[in-house]
Amino acid sequence: MEVGMLPISASKRGKLLAAGYTTLDAIARASPTHLARDIDVSESEATEILNLASKPSALERPNGSHTAVVGGGQTAWDMLNDEKFSSYITTSCADLDNILGGGIKCKEVTEIGGVPGIGKTQIGIQLAVNVQIPQEYGGLGGKAIYIDTEGSFMVERVLQIAEACIEDMAEYSRHFHKDFQACDVKMHPNNILENIFYFRVCSYTEQIALINYLDKFITENKDVKILIVDSVTFHFRQDFDDMALRTRLLSEMALKLMKLAKKFRLAVVMFNQVTTKHIEGSFQLTLALGDSWSHSCTNRIILFWNGNERHAFIDKSPSLKSASAPYSVTTRGIRNSTSSCKRIKMM
Amino acid sequence: MRAENLLQLQHRTQKCTLGCPVLDRCLAGGVPCASVTEFVGESGCGKTQLCLQLALSAQLPPSHGGLSASSIFIHTEFPFPFRRLRHLSRAFRASHPDLPCSDPCDRVFLRAVHSAHELLNLIPTIETFLLHSKSPWRPVRIIVIDSIAALFRSDFENTGSDLRRRSSLFFGISGGLRQLAKRFGIAVVVTNQVVDLIGDGDVSFGSLGNGLYSSGRRVCPALGLAWAHCVNSRLFLSKDEDEPPVKTRKMRVVFAPHLPHSSCEYVIKGEGVFGVEMMQHREEEINL
Repeated sequence: MEVGMLPISASKRGKLLAAGYTTLDAIARASPTHLARDIDVSESEATEILNLASKPSALERPNGSHTAVVGGGQTAWDMLNDEKFSSYITTSCADLDNILGGGIKCKEVTEIGGVPGIGKTQIGIQLAVNVQIPQEYGGLGGKAIYIDTEGSFMVERVLQIAEACIEDMAEYSRHFHKDFQACDVKMHPNNILENIFYFRVCSYTEQIALINYLDKFITENKDVKILIVDSVTFHFRQDFDDMALRTRLLSEMALKLMKLAKKFRLAVVMFNQVTTKHIEGSFQLTLALGDSWSHSCTNRIILFWNGNERHAFIDKSPSLKSASAPYSVTTRGIRNSTSSCKRIKMM
Repeated sequence: MRAENLLQLQHRTQKCTLGCPVLDRCLAGGVPCASVTEFVGESGCGKTQLCLQLALSAQLPPSHGGLSASSIFIHTEFPFPFRRLRHLSRAFRASHPDLPCSDPCDRVFLRAVHSAHELLNLIPTIETFLLHSKSPWRPVRIIVIDSIAALFRSDFENTGSDLRRRSSLFFGISGGLRQLAKRFGIAVVVTNQVVDLIGDGDVSFGSLGNGLYSSGRRVCPALGLAWAHCVNSRLFLSKDEDEPPVKTRKMRVVFAPHLPHSSCEYVIKGEGVFGVEMMQHREEEINL
C-alpha cells in the first residue's frame, strides 16, 4: 500500500515521502503528534491523514468477521501463522543455534553483551557473512548492514570468515547433493564483501542520524536481512551531563530499531559492553547503559568466560528458555567448542 | 552518510612495522592503521622502547612495512628519553641510509601532557595540526601516547562520582582518538600499566585478566574494565621470573579482532627491540 493512493494534497504527500513515510503501515503506526511534527502540519491535519491511512487497511479484508477493530491489527491466529514462516540466521555454531531455536531470529531485536575480547565482533562478522548463504543451502540469501562505532571491523578478518563459509558450503554441496552437479557454489569472497554495507560512525549524533536514515536506505536496498550495531554503547558512555537526555535518545533509537525489524522483517543485532555494578558491598559484571536500556531488546545474550572456554547464555527472551552453550572463535570464524565436539557444523 | 564499499577498502588493513620481522609476524604485519592498539605491561618490559622504535619505523616506505609518515609522540611521564631516541635514531639511520630525511628525529613530533583533561583538549589541536600543518614532513600516520595510565591513576579519588567522571573521560578520549584514526588513517598506540591482582581464588574481574603473569605475579591491566572497551587490540608484555643468560620479554595478544592468541619473545638491545626466533620445540600452538 503506497502513500500515493491517499486522497490528500500533493504537497502533503510530498512531505510524507520526504519524512520517510513511504507506506500506509508506516503512517498508521505513527502517533498524531509525531506525524504532525515530522511533516510540519497541525495535529488535526495529522489525525485526518492517520484516519485515511487506517481506513483502506480495513477495507482490504474480504471477510467482515475477521476485520480488526483497529486498522493494522492482527489476530493471534494470523500471528501464529506468521511465526511458522520465521527466518533464522545461523551462527555457524550448532550448540549456539540449538539454544537460540535455530539462530538469530528475524523481526526481533537481539542484544549480545560481554567483556572485551569475548568475541562480539567475531559474531557480528560471522552473522554478516551467514545472512548471505543462498536459500538452496538453507540461508536467507540476504545482505547485511554493519554499523561500526568502535572501529573493530577488520576487512581481512571478514575475508577469512567468508572464505571459510564458502568452503563449508562447497563441502555441504558435495555431501548432500551428489546427484546435482549443477549445484556448484557460485559465491566468491568478493561477492560477500559487496553485500555488506559498512557504516563507520564516530559520534552519537552520527549514530542517531544514521539509524533515522536507514528506513530510506533499506527501502532502496530491499535484500537487507540483518542490521548489526557494534557497539550500541560506545558513544553513549562519553560525557553526558544530562542523563535524562541520554535515556531519551537511547529509547528513541531503540524504538526505531524495533520498527525497522518489524517493517522490513530483518534481524537487528546490537552489541553492548559490560560495566561493574556495586550492590551491597560487592561488585558484579552487568551490561552497560542501565536497566532502562534492558527493555529495548527482545532477546538478550550474555557472553562470558567459563574457565578458558567461551560461553553464551540466554539472559532474556520471550520464547527461549534460559540456556548456556559453549562456542569457540577459530580461524574460520565462530564454531562449536572443540572440547565438546570436533566436527565442523554443516550449514 | 554513505555505506563504504568493502572492496575499495584494502583487503588487508595497512599496518606499520615494529621494526623487527619476528614481532611483525606475531602481529600479522605490525600495528594496524585506523585502530587503537594498546601495549600493557609492568615497568621494564619495553613499552617505551617499542613506542620509540615504532615512531621511527613509520618513516619507512610501505615496501619495508612502514607508512612513509611522521609520528606524534605524546608523553605523560617525565623526563622524555631524548638520549634513547637519539641513540635509536642513529641506529635506525645506519640501517636505512636511503631515507629522505637526514635526521629521523625531525619526523617525530613531541608533546608533553600532564593531565587527562589536557589530553582530551589536545585532540582538536592535533586535528588542526593534521589538517593545516605546513611541516615538510607530512603526513602523520602514527600517534603514540606513553603512558595513558599515568594520567588517570593519580588525579582521581576512589569515590563514585570521580570514578564516573574518569570513566566518561576514558570514552571521550577514546572516541576522539578513534575519530582521528578513522579520518586520517592513523595507527594509534597507547601504553598502559599493570596492577597486581590481590586476593584468593578467582574474582569476577579475573574474566578480564585471563591469567596474565609477569615476574611471577598475577597482574591485570590498569584502568579497569571500562578502558578495556576503549581499545581495539591489547598486547601484553611480560618478564619471566627466572633470569636466563639473556633477559627476554614476551609479547602476547590478549585480544584483537584480527589476530589469534599468539605470542613471541623479544630482547632489548642497544640498537632497539628485536624478536627472538623460538626453537622448534618451544613454538606455541595457535589457540584462537
